Amino acid sequence: MNTILIRHKWEPYLWLLPSLLLMTVFVVFPILIVFRMSFSEISRSGVMGGFAGFKNFIDAVNDKAFGTVMKNTAVWVVSVVGLSTLFGFIVAMVLNADFHGRKIARSIVVFPWATSLVIQASVWNYIIKYEYGNLNNVLLNLGILKNAVNWRTTYQIEFAWECGVGIFVTIPFVTFCVLAGLQSIDAAYYEAATVDGAGFWKKLRHVTLPLVRPSLTVSTVLNIIYVFNSFPIVYTITKGAPANKTDTLITLLYMRAFYDQKKGAATAMSVIGFVILCIAAGLYMVISMRGEEEL
Amino acid sequence: MKKQIPEAAPKNRKTGLILVLTALALTIMLFSMPIFRTDTVLFSKKSANTFVGDEKYQSVRAEVEQAAAQYAGFNKTEVREDVTLRTKSDGSQSSMVTFSVTSQGWNNAWQIITSGLPSGSILAILLVCVLISFLAGFLGRSRISGGVAVAFALCTLLLVPAFAMLNTRIFSRSIGTVLSGAREADISALLASADRLLYGEKAGEDVAKLLGGMTYNYTFALWGLLPAGMLLLCGVLLMQNARLGSTLARGALYCFVIALCIVILYPYYVMFITGLRSIAETNDMYFLHMLPVKWVWSNFYDIVQRGVLRYLGNSLLLSSGATLIGLVCGIPAAYAMARMRFRGKKAFLGFVIMSQMFSPVVLLVGIARLMSALKLNDTVAGLMLINAAFNQAFAIWLLRGTFVSISSEMEQAACIDGCNVFGALTRVLLPMAAPGIVTTLIFVFINAWNEYTISTVLISTSSRRPITVGITQFSSFNMIEWQYLFASALLATIPVVILFLCIEKHLVTGLTSGGVKG
Repeated sequence: MNTILIRHKWEPYLWLLPSLLLMTVFVVFPILIVFRMSFSEISRSGVMGGFAGFKNFIDAVNDKAFGTVMKNTAVWVVSVVGLSTLFGFIVAMVLNADFHGRKIARSIVVFPWATSLVIQASVWNYIIKYEYGNLNNVLLNLGILKNAVNWRTTYQIEFAWECGVGIFVTIPFVTFCVLAGLQSIDAAYYEAATVDGAGFWKKLRHVTLPLVRPSLTVSTVLNIIYVFNSFPIVYTITKGAPANKTDTLITLLYMRAFYDQKKGAATAMSVIGFVILCIAAGLYMVISMRGEEEL
Repeated sequence: MKKQIPEAAPKNRKTGLILVLTALALTIMLFSMPIFRTDTVLFSKKSANTFVGDEKYQSVRAEVEQAAAQYAGFNKTEVREDVTLRTKSDGSQSSMVTFSVTSQGWNNAWQIITSGLPSGSILAILLVCVLISFLAGFLGRSRISGGVAVAFALCTLLLVPAFAMLNTRIFSRSIGTVLSGAREADISALLASADRLLYGEKAGEDVAKLLGGMTYNYTFALWGLLPAGMLLLCGVLLMQNARLGSTLARGALYCFVIALCIVILYPYYVMFITGLRSIAETNDMYFLHMLPVKWVWSNFYDIVQRGVLRYLGNSLLLSSGATLIGLVCGIPAAYAMARMRFRGKKAFLGFVIMSQMFSPVVLLVGIARLMSALKLNDTVAGLMLINAAFNQAFAIWLLRGTFVSISSEMEQAACIDGCNVFGALTRVLLPMAAPGIVTTLIFVFINAWNEYTISTVLISTSSRRPITVGITQFSSFNMIEWQYLFASALLATIPVVILFLCIEKHLVTGLTSGGVKG
């Protein structure tokens, strides 16, 4: 067994203490504070009053933007996670093939992962500007367009762009998770499949997919959480305009808490988001604990 | 490497020949079709304080119509009018009507080549490439001629976008937008050649004088040369090599990878060129050069003046602090998780995984309140602690994976020799686990460096901002100084991208194998 002897029963807990302390203070306390605030009366200046029951939650749900925002959040999470998983998988398949310059290609694909979201979002915000945006510039220069096109005529289109940027920055993570899975597949499986006369699609369905499923599951669940919590893209490109029509739950929460001084409703939204995340987290734990049997 | 190319099967050779001939026919057809459009403003007149329909309008209009009639013989002429209405602050209105008579000419590729226009030479090269490729593929049977045919077919493919780009730039941009004094000689030469092409020197000086705003559009139809080039390439390959399928698959793979890299690098290209432009260029909607006309390196000097170095310093401090705290707390925990047996291990792991789920964003309000209670709001130290805490999960995850993958024999030996557990960790395990530790270190560092949301909420003093928040000072509500924004974004991005590239390989194995399988 890969363990070492310990002298006292309490020694392992001593080793865990610093980490436990750090996480308790800065992760658990905020959670408790948010829960307490969501059930308390909160004045505009943020002073906590007595117990308020579900008043804050009722305020949050009755917020005129709440319905749209929940719908947006669902669209945002499903489209970004779904499409980036699909594209990331394809990219990983390609990067797993053997070709000249594969190392360089892999290094380039990692770029968006290493770049701050707020910077990526600012760049894309500039690219799709109508008057002087770079996309129009490039397309006009290539002769593909004759006149500048307004890329963001309606808020639906703007939201679609935001989803696009979300997909763009999420792909590398999926790609590298899948790639790690692909590299661990023994070539013998493919040889056996070839001997049995399986074509590309058959190999994909019966060899590749089952074997990369663990990495794919991990990346998908983690992505659901990251994408749900993603703030800078929407905040930089539209700031939720017009009238919260492009907001997600996180950006609305931020606006309500720090611009509109509706801390009560904002904490209730936090709790709602928190509960949604708990469900995702529970799912993730079940999946990742499955491999931890020998602990 | 294969030394010999297998002799192509006769059937392949025949198919290849058909494809090559089709490509040639398509090229010749495209070259002969009048698909190049030239728009010329022949005559223009501005008339201030004119309202549509009034007397003044009528008289100017008549004058313009008369002028248009003069040019009706050359090409398809057209009268355009633009009305600009302005309402002054006192409520009165003024307007300006601009009339322009434009002519449209359609020409084919032969005319462009013979006219001596700059784009004509590219068209000529393109045509020569197609012909050489055709001849080499058609006549030659050796390895060399095959190579030549393929190379020139590839050249054709590359020349089409090059042509499109250069062409549009030379005409529309040189003439239409940058009429600067320095380029007058170029412009008059261009105008003269355009005049020759359009009017066969008949209109002479008269037209040359009027050619003020000539724009030139080659049409979309020219992209038709691209499929023609593809056909040519496939045909040549078929004639040379029996196995077209694998060659094409390889080609498609490279095309995909190149397209992918272009798309991913595109935002960085935008960041780079915009960061080095002058303010006039970034906000000019008519400015259409792919690269800055003038590279303004002084943008970097300007952003330094506006405190970017301080923000970078703050970021460095914040990320190093967060990394240090994260590792000091994380290494012992990961060590215990990897090497010791105790009750509640599973519970702790569950707690770690749970904490990874909650990005600080959803807890913003709680964090802000906690920090003000601890008197840590608006301090870099507060940000350090938050970042360290929220990165604990990943740090423990990665470190534990590394420790588990290293055998504990050495440590056990050290323990028997009288070393205590702490000594075993620091003297034996840590040096061996160095790559994994560096990976974790860089990963936490980058996460803290790129963090944005918590910093916006917690930091209110301008001089304490990290760089991700600092760059937003260049985008105020109605005026965004893009060149400064991107110049500082560049400074904030390059170091972390390089750092990330160093750990990329270790990170992936750490995240999946170390984490999931345990």
